Amino acid sequence: MLEGAELYFNVDHGYLEGLVRGCKASLLTQQDYINLVQCETLEDVKIHLQTTDYGNFLANQTNPLTVSKIDTEMRKKLCREFEYFRNHSLEPLSTFFTYMTCSYMIDNVILLMNGALQKKSVKEILVKCHPLGRFTEMEAVNIAETPSDLFNAVLVETPLAPFFQDCMSENTLNELNIELLRNKLYKSYLEAFYKFCKNHGDVTAEIMCPILEFEADRRAFIITLNSFGTELSKDDRETLYPTCGKLYPEGLRLLAQAEDFDQMRRVADHYGVYKPLFEAVGDGNGGKTLEDVFYEREVQMNVLAFNRQFHYGVFYAYTKLKEQEMRNIVWIAECISQRHRTKINSYIPIL
Amino acid sequence: MGSLFRSEAMCLAQLFLQSGTAYECLSALGEKGLVQFRDLNQNVSSFQRKFVGEVKRCEELERILAYLVQEINRADIPLPEGETSPPAPPLKQVLEMQEQLQKLEVELREVTKNKEKLRKNLLELIEYTHMLRVTKTFLKRNVEFEPTYEEFPPLENDSLLDYSCMQRLGAKLGFVSGLINQGKVEAFEKMLWRVCKGYTIVTYAELDEPLEDPETGEVIKWYVFLISFWGEQIGHKVKKICDCYHCHVYPYPNTAEERKEIQEGLNTRIQDLYTVLHKTEDYLRQVLCKAAESVYSHVIQVKKMKAIYHMLNMCSFDVTNKCLIAEVWCPEADLHELRRALEEGSRESGATIPSFMNTIPTKETPPTLIRTNKFTEGFQNIVDAYGVGSYREVNPALFTIITFPFLFAVMFGDFGHGFVMFLFALLLVINENHPRLNQSQEIMRMFFNGRYILLLMGLFSVYTGLIYNDCFSKSVNLFGSGWNVSAMYSSSHALAEHRNMVLWNDTIVRRSRVLQLDPSVPGVFQGPYPLGIDPIWNLATNRLTFLNSFKMKMSVILGIIHMTFGVILGIFNHLHFRKKFNIYLVSVPELLFMLCIFGYLIFMIVYKWLVYSAETSQVAPSILIEFINMFLFPASETNGLYSGQEHVQRLLLVVTALSVPVLFLGKPLFLLWLHNGRSCFGVSRQCTEVPVPPHPNRYLLFFFFLNNSHLRYGTGMVCSVGHRAGCGGAVSRAQIFNSLFSHSSMFSPFNFGEILMTQVIHSIEYCLGCISNTASYLRLWALSLAHAQLSDVLWTMLVRVGLRVDTTYGVLLLLPVIALFAVLTIFILLIMEGLSAFLHAIRLHWVEFQNKFYVGAGTKFVPFSFRLLSSKFGDDMA
Repeated sequence: MLEGAELYFNVDHGYLEGLVRGCKASLLTQQDYINLVQCETLEDVKIHLQTTDYGNFLANQTNPLTVSKIDTEMRKKLCREFEYFRNHSLEPLSTFFTYMTCSYMIDNVILLMNGALQKKSVKEILVKCHPLGRFTEMEAVNIAETPSDLFNAVLVETPLAPFFQDCMSENTLNELNIELLRNKLYKSYLEAFYKFCKNHGDVTAEIMCPILEFEADRRAFIITLNSFGTELSKDDRETLYPTCGKLYPEGLRLLAQAEDFDQMRRVADHYGVYKPLFEAVGDGNGGKTLEDVFYEREVQMNVLAFNRQFHYGVFYAYTKLKEQEMRNIVWIAECISQRHRTKINSYIPIL
Repeated sequence: MGSLFRSEAMCLAQLFLQSGTAYECLSALGEKGLVQFRDLNQNVSSFQRKFVGEVKRCEELERILAYLVQEINRADIPLPEGETSPPAPPLKQVLEMQEQLQKLEVELREVTKNKEKLRKNLLELIEYTHMLRVTKTFLKRNVEFEPTYEEFPPLENDSLLDYSCMQRLGAKLGFVSGLINQGKVEAFEKMLWRVCKGYTIVTYAELDEPLEDPETGEVIKWYVFLISFWGEQIGHKVKKICDCYHCHVYPYPNTAEERKEIQEGLNTRIQDLYTVLHKTEDYLRQVLCKAAESVYSHVIQVKKMKAIYHMLNMCSFDVTNKCLIAEVWCPEADLHELRRALEEGSRESGATIPSFMNTIPTKETPPTLIRTNKFTEGFQNIVDAYGVGSYREVNPALFTIITFPFLFAVMFGDFGHGFVMFLFALLLVINENHPRLNQSQEIMRMFFNGRYILLLMGLFSVYTGLIYNDCFSKSVNLFGSGWNVSAMYSSSHALAEHRNMVLWNDTIVRRSRVLQLDPSVPGVFQGPYPLGIDPIWNLATNRLTFLNSFKMKMSVILGIIHMTFGVILGIFNHLHFRKKFNIYLVSVPELLFMLCIFGYLIFMIVYKWLVYSAETSQVAPSILIEFINMFLFPASETNGLYSGQEHVQRLLLVVTALSVPVLFLGKPLFLLWLHNGRSCFGVSRQCTEVPVPPHPNRYLLFFFFLNNSHLRYGTGMVCSVGHRAGCGGAVSRAQIFNSLFSHSSMFSPFNFGEILMTQVIHSIEYCLGCISNTASYLRLWALSLAHAQLSDVLWTMLVRVGLRVDTTYGVLLLLPVIALFAVLTIFILLIMEGLSAFLHAIRLHWVEFQNKFYVGAGTKFVPFSFRLLSSKFGDDMA
């Protein structure tokens, strides 16, 4: 695509960009979090959220209020906004939105498959599925017995189909295979998304590529961390790493050889971006977990995405920020409802 | 009371509401709408306030009411809207009301749930019968039209034996049948094909009548399908796929007898369900009808109650928790009303101790209240749109009432257009109580709210139209022109007079296309036209030149008068705020600056008009040149307007030049001098400062301090003072509080640099503004020219064409021409031009007039009044 988005961006996407920036302004502020933390009961949380942009989204909920009710209502709200964006978008922004939903779709498919493996009913699991990743064929996932079955029968017409090319095998689906499938899917998804943004060029590429690179590297780290002490071989592990990150290729090779957390940390030390993150991780008790540190870094990048104009990254960033906000509210609400106030302050503030 | 010149005097009052009677008192206050509450708990977040539980209860009630309204609307029962608004419910009734509503809700929910269940059942049964009906034809078709299908052996035409036939062949044939959403059919079939690899036969047919979707309640088209398959495994998959696509699957009868049986059974059940459903619906309707009667008053009552609790949340509790303290802004004129409202509230709740109030002095700026009526409201809105006036400053709205329509009319000046506008506005004013106008939509509402402005604008346009002598761009000859054409003929004059005059004779009149009337010829100009422009100018080719000169001078004169008036209003502000030095150091130099330059310009214009006549017009000097020369002191002597002109101009220039430094430096230096002077005497002043003599009541207070040792704080004290001293009355209490709460006045530090900068900026703005603003008033001329020309064009392009055609066809042609003329006149000349003139008039007021004196940095007084709650419950609830 031609450079110089500012010339024509607003013709097609100006309205939505304005809208999403407005939505971003309604994220909870630091003061809101301070007030939320002071709440005694979930009712207080509800009253406080009423004064924010959430409005009376819980007004029609009958008592008693539970955390899951809050969570579903918040998700519904995000979903409504997202659907609105998506329904009003034009190409190539709509493709961008489709890419955004793909990650949720992968999660949902994997969730359903796991459920089928444990012989749970589809309805039960459907409730847990993320509404952004909903698609009609989803409920038929449990028909399939092998990944190729899954591809041929169910997913061939969904946006997920292209990501399946690398993971067509005749293995039966057991828990490990499903996990491998998820990571492979995610890898090809991230690479495809990265390629899409790169090809799109312009500000979108400048904003989205670093975010996706970070996402890829984060996955690589997390996969490595989770594979310690499992039967996953090092070669297999390397095939799961998304290759669009900053770690590619040397860092990934080193990570594949890592055997414990310290070795992983040594790999990260080679990279200026990740060194401070690993340094911020507290050891053992107290301090932040690696996950939290990554979340914080992600929030930071997403907030910065709003400093540039005329790109699609704002939509991605907004969705991620909103998700983080929801995680925060749920965390606070959980702490309140379980009367476990000592950790209530370890939410991730959105600057 | 309620003067429009300044906003009303406000005072800060403290209300002491006994906690038992606070609700009733606020209810009484809300009905009257007298006071504005200040939030005393600003740093308390909303869920930590005192009455959060009550607010929550109100919200719960609102939720129930919203549900009721929704159900009532769905049942199409008209909601009666009461005329009067019921008062907030007494606390005793609230519980009762809540109980009643909750019971109603539970009942309603149950009934609707039952109803929904019945409806769903019914729908399923109907779907089933449809399916049976349609699939019957499928089987026949299958058999008839697909005899070549490999797996099927050729079948005899007896379709009823179809299934048993297959069984005999040993194939395990299964059927799944049901209904599917129209949009999903294609994907459904594809998936079936992919999953079952073609080992199924799918037949489907569209259902003729659309049915309701039980999940969304939408009425959509459905397809009936029948899947025949072999084998158990595939059967499972087919069922899962059906689930996935949310098909409504119904058991498929194997034999014809079974089918018939089922069909009959279904029919009777449908009949039964219908009757039950009708009964349920009737009952539901009864319940809803009963609810609909009271729902309006309930909604209003709950809204009032919630508003009261919100206000109570703004009050602070005193230490003993017996008494709520509220701080309110109240217009001084309404204080006795406020007292009466409090008494009323106390009496109503039957409390033994009355709630009371007292005023407290404050350094804070009170909100601005200007009482308006339906006439002045529109004009006040124009001013408020620029900025709500600071407390007690001169309110330009009073003068806007006349100047705004007038300046508009100068631009819009046309007798005919003005009259149409006046008639329209008059129509609105006469019918202002008409309910449809009151509830009209956005644009109409805009006109309706500005009806009095429109009325005056129309009236003034009629006046200026008379002055311009324009009626739909034509002049009206009311009094007979002051010019006499026949006097120009040479035959009408004696020969002796012919010398210096260019007179007409027959040949000149015949030959020349343009003839010139010479006013210096005796008898040609017989004196000015009594009102406005002489209609003869309508025929003249130099009409535009004449009018331009006239209108340009007129706009400058009007503009300078308008601005000077603004500066004079500034003097009133300085007088009121007791800053007399501002008059001498700011207003007077400003006035001198303006008048010495532009006032003199006006003088020259008027002087030239008066002194020079037609005979002497040849030697009249140009005002423009004279004005420029005033500043440039040219070497060459021009013959001026009057003798001694040069000296007068020099003097004026000197005054102007002197007023500039005074304007720039006068006020800052004076303030500096004042400040220094004060600090010089500072030591002695501190010594001489007399402490406020303690009031006897203060001793009383101390006395109680000693007596009631458990009360540690003064605020808590006062109640007991109130209780026991009883007869002391509000005055003594007020004084106690005055002495208790008198805040130490806050001194802002003196900053000379800042004051100097502000004054310099203000002065530069003013001096440059005098020139640019005067030029800005030329828009009066420009717009009136544009308006006149546009209407002229419309006339020549349309009506004149229509009038030129000869009479037989002309009559037919004139009708559409006049219609088109009317439409274009209304849309282009009245609405479009009117809007542009309106905007320019607004600009002249906001920028050119108001920046001479108006600060507009106040906040509006927003009383706690139930009237401001929206009385319509359709908008925010349903």
